[in-house]
Amino acid sequence: MNENLFASFIAPTILGLPAAVLIILFPPLLIPTSKYLINNRLITTQQWLIKLTSKQMMAMHNTKGRTWSLMLVSLIIFIAMTNLLGLLPHSFTPTTQLSMNLAMAIPLWAGTVIMGFRSKIKNALAHFLPQGTPTPLIPMLVIIETISLLIQPMALAVRLTANITAGHLLMHLIGSATLAMSTINLPSTLIIFTILILLTILEIAVALIQAYVFTLLVSLYLHDNT
Amino acid sequence: MLSRVVLSAAATAAPSLKNAAFLGPGVLQATRTFHTGQPHLVPVPPLPEYGGKVRYGLIPEEFFQFLYPKTGPYVLGTGLILYALSKEIYVISAETFTALSVLGVMVYGIKKYGPFVADFADKLNEQKLAQLEEAKQASIQHIQNAIDTEKSQQALVQKRHYLFDVQRNNIAMALEVTYRERLYRVYKEVKNRLDYHISVQNMMRRKEQEHMINWVEKHVVQSISTQQEKETIAKCIADLKLLAKKAQAQPVM
Repeated sequence: MNENLFASFIAPTILGLPAAVLIILFPPLLIPTSKYLINNRLITTQQWLIKLTSKQMMAMHNTKGRTWSLMLVSLIIFIAMTNLLGLLPHSFTPTTQLSMNLAMAIPLWAGTVIMGFRSKIKNALAHFLPQGTPTPLIPMLVIIETISLLIQPMALAVRLTANITAGHLLMHLIGSATLAMSTINLPSTLIIFTILILLTILEIAVALIQAYVFTLLVSLYLHDNT
Repeated sequence: MLSRVVLSAAATAAPSLKNAAFLGPGVLQATRTFHTGQPHLVPVPPLPEYGGKVRYGLIPEEFFQFLYPKTGPYVLGTGLILYALSKEIYVISAETFTALSVLGVMVYGIKKYGPFVADFADKLNEQKLAQLEEAKQASIQHIQNAIDTEKSQQALVQKRHYLFDVQRNNIAMALEVTYRERLYRVYKEVKNRLDYHISVQNMMRRKEQEHMINWVEKHVVQSISTQQEKETIAKCIADLKLLAKKAQAQPVM
């Protein structure tokens, strides 16, 4: 039972070669590009969605922050697509691996911080002390703010990993619960199956929301530092 | 071909280079010719308007047509599924229920919101086309307006001579009026001058008359000596007394 539960989180290999690379490279195949003005419905809806999200997301940045728009839009599309594809049966979600999320979060966060320290060093250092703190509290508050800054990338990565992993685990558990109950008591199976359906809807929402949250926080750090 | 020309030119220019062996590979590369065949896909062929038909969103229609002469596709499908289940090639596990719920939610979503999304996408495309169409129509309309304006201008040009006639008449009238005004002014000026001379003459005559009268009076008064004055006065008194007597006599009658 234990082995089976976490089996879906092992990075897949084919004859010892990592297939995770292929799985990570798969989602862009589902978002076609086109050189025509009038496309089929898939491309039209995708283009409209991407235009909507990019406009909404980059509206609050200044010119320097908008140089990050390609990065942030591709980030949200990637995370949303991998999360949604991970809901299919027997599929592997790369974002459940802490290694990958750390690899996404640390460079992005470090990029924003270093950009802030390079351009406006006084503003970047001023973030360490909120306004209007009483004087005796200042040393402690600086330490606390530093710690909260340094924990941002870890929080980003762990948040995404934990949410997606927890969702997948819960689906697996409730699925096995229905499997077990199907031989014992049929009506309760239906109840548990309804719970599973509700959970699926939640998971779809969580997949999209997590992508959004990740990207939004990175864009927030960017806004602070430009 | 050009490289061969260059080579022969270099050979004639610097005979020592004729034996240069290191030009060999470069010559081989340079003499390979490109772009000799006919270009493919010119012009780019248009895309088909609708995709191929599929059943159940996954299996293309051609698969069914392919199978129909030999075996029923649904029977084949059912058979395969039952075979996999019975031989435990596909194990019913927790994933099965997860798969059922995910696929169920997906099918429900597609069936319910599919047409809405399709119409939305079609509407987006139609908006793009309508924008371009409107630009084209606006351009055509603009040019049509220009043509109409030009035609009306041409028609107006035909009737321009009325305007010129009226203007000519106006100018002639203005010239006439100015001429008459000036004539009148000339007349007045001349009359003024002549009146001046006349009044000068009149004044001179008056002055001469007055002067003469004064002179005559003066001399007359001077000529009356005292003797004559006394005699004249006595005579006047005597005349008056006579007249008084005559006058008194009248009212008694």
